[in-house]
Amino acid sequence: MSDNGKPVVEFTDVSKKLGGRQILDKLSFEVAKGETFVIIGYSGSGKSVSLRHMVGLMQPDDGSIRIDGDEITTMSRKELELMRRKFGVLFQSGALIAWLTLFENVELPLVEHTRMSRKKRAEVVQKKLELVNLWDDRDKFPAEISGGMKKRGGLARALALDPGLVLYDEPSSGLDPVIAYEVDKLINGLRDDHGMTQIVVTHDMESAFTIASRIGVFYHGEMIQVGTPDEIRASQIPEVQHFITGGREGQVSMRSDAAIARGVPPGLNSRRDVSPTTGNEQDAGYVLLSEEEVAASATRESSDETSSLEPEESQHENP
Amino acid sequence: MKLSNNAVLNAVKGAGNTLVLLLEALGHITQVWHRRRSILNQMHVIGTQSLPITCFFMLLIGMVFALQTGIEFARFGQTNLVGLVIVSAMVRELGPWMTAFVLIARVGSSMAAEIGSMKVAEEIDALEVMSINPASFVVMPRVVGYALMGPALTVVGTLIGIFGGGIVANMQLGVQWSDYFRFAERGAEALDIYWGLLKSLVFSVTAAAVACSNGMRTTGGAVGVGRASRNTVVISLTLVVFFNYLLTSFYRVVKMFVSGVL
Ligand SMILES: Nc1ncnc2c1ncn2[C@@H]1O[C@H](COP(=O)(O)OP(=O)(O)OP(=O)(O)O)[C@@H](O)[C@H]1O
Ligand SMILES: [Mg+2]
Repeated sequence: MSDNGKPVVEFTDVSKKLGGRQILDKLSFEVAKGETFVIIGYSGSGKSVSLRHMVGLMQPDDGSIRIDGDEITTMSRKELELMRRKFGVLFQSGALIAWLTLFENVELPLVEHTRMSRKKRAEVVQKKLELVNLWDDRDKFPAEISGGMKKRGGLARALALDPGLVLYDEPSSGLDPVIAYEVDKLINGLRDDHGMTQIVVTHDMESAFTIASRIGVFYHGEMIQVGTPDEIRASQIPEVQHFITGGREGQVSMRSDAAIARGVPPGLNSRRDVSPTTGNEQDAGYVLLSEEEVAASATRESSDETSSLEPEESQHENP
Repeated sequence: MKLSNNAVLNAVKGAGNTLVLLLEALGHITQVWHRRRSILNQMHVIGTQSLPITCFFMLLIGMVFALQTGIEFARFGQTNLVGLVIVSAMVRELGPWMTAFVLIARVGSSMAAEIGSMKVAEEIDALEVMSINPASFVVMPRVVGYALMGPALTVVGTLIGIFGGGIVANMQLGVQWSDYFRFAERGAEALDIYWGLLKSLVFSVTAAAVACSNGMRTTGGAVGVGRASRNTVVISLTLVVFFNYLLTSFYRVVKMFVSGVL
């Protein structure tokens, strides 16, 4: 899957410091044309930041980012604007414009970037809104619809111009299981029927294994493993096992606040990171925990389905 | 010492940001027709919706000002002259900046909050990614709407203020309406009216630019939105009183030049 033609997205040794911390650390990966590349990793590990680099909303301190072979880190604003037309982006919160209705939100890229007639635009908007099941709610404002609907609206808008490359920041979080499954089917449909290249950041392991051509596992600002779903499932890397099993296997865990209170030895701190509970920037570090603590801090993404995916050789001992 | 250095540095950075954003927005002024709906909407929010409160304010300010000057003038038996003083003060000073104050409190603060929440909710980023320049899509319609409605409200407010002064002059100071307006006419000439409009245009553009730029620089969630809104009010008010002083000083020079003293 990764070898049909030159890569659409190419990160080479991309580093970025934010707020005094190394968020991206010599990050390198490639996304091939037509594949669905899924990025998984702990909350706060820099997944959204890497997406922001991909669309030029953030500039790396170091390294090279190529889109369709063009280096974007040195582009002028005009060049960036042109480059961005290749993208559709679904933001984590949908990011619909508050004073426009759903219809107008999806229509916006068409109004700004095409010479379509009003009638033609309405047809396109209807098609996209029907795709995400929101046509009946077209006249509502973002404040009047649920979080999941906002996200689907954002998806319809991202697809309005039929981009060749779509980025999704957590498309299924906040959606009920049925709609999350619909979004998965939609993503697979876009790949199979339109040959779209898609990059998906997700916390939903089941969805990741359903839609991915390849999966990249993000850990402390680098990709510690990239591979097909099968390769990732069979991974020997403890951090990867730990993550995809929702903390049940592998030996690395997040230190809970309770563990801090109990005085987990600070020497075991490996790195500063965002607190998984509050999302605030603070010293929440990754540390080695006892088995009980690991079980207690199992993240909410864990489910029975994912645990059944564990390979046999995942019994890692603490070093 | 370190703190005050940072404060100065931040102020300079903020001013620079605001100026750049304003110029960028003005660079997109060619899109006025394309963005007419947005602009009309802003004019409604800024103008129509602020009309009642502006009128109320200016009416009472005119009334108080007439009372205050009436008390002093009565000592010299010159109560008839209140019309003249009220008009000259209203047209060039009270009208433009009291209207500006009302608008900053009512419009500037919420404009910053609105754009701040857009920033926090990634809406501004989404615009950037869609290759829609926020300076054109968000800022330009607000600056244009504000620049049109600020002076318009100033005209209405000033007239109401003069009328309010007249009511007090007539009912409480015993000045005939005809005397009031006879002297009122001498209170302002064309230059004064232009000057009042110029002032209110400057204040309006300043307030809009400050609101937009503080909104666009919002970070840190809901708290950040509140901070942006508060900073907008403080900075706009400060700039308005400062620019007002400069413009009044400049007026004096122009006036002397026109009347041949210089
Ligand atoms: N503009 C910024 N300034 C400073 N720090 C930032 C900025 N943006 C992100 N960060 C920090 O970078 C780290 C990575 O953030 P990012 O949003 O990429 O995480 P994530 O992997 O997407 O997490 P999640 O799964 O919760 O969305 C976080 O610690 C965050 O605090
Ligand atoms: Mg994220």
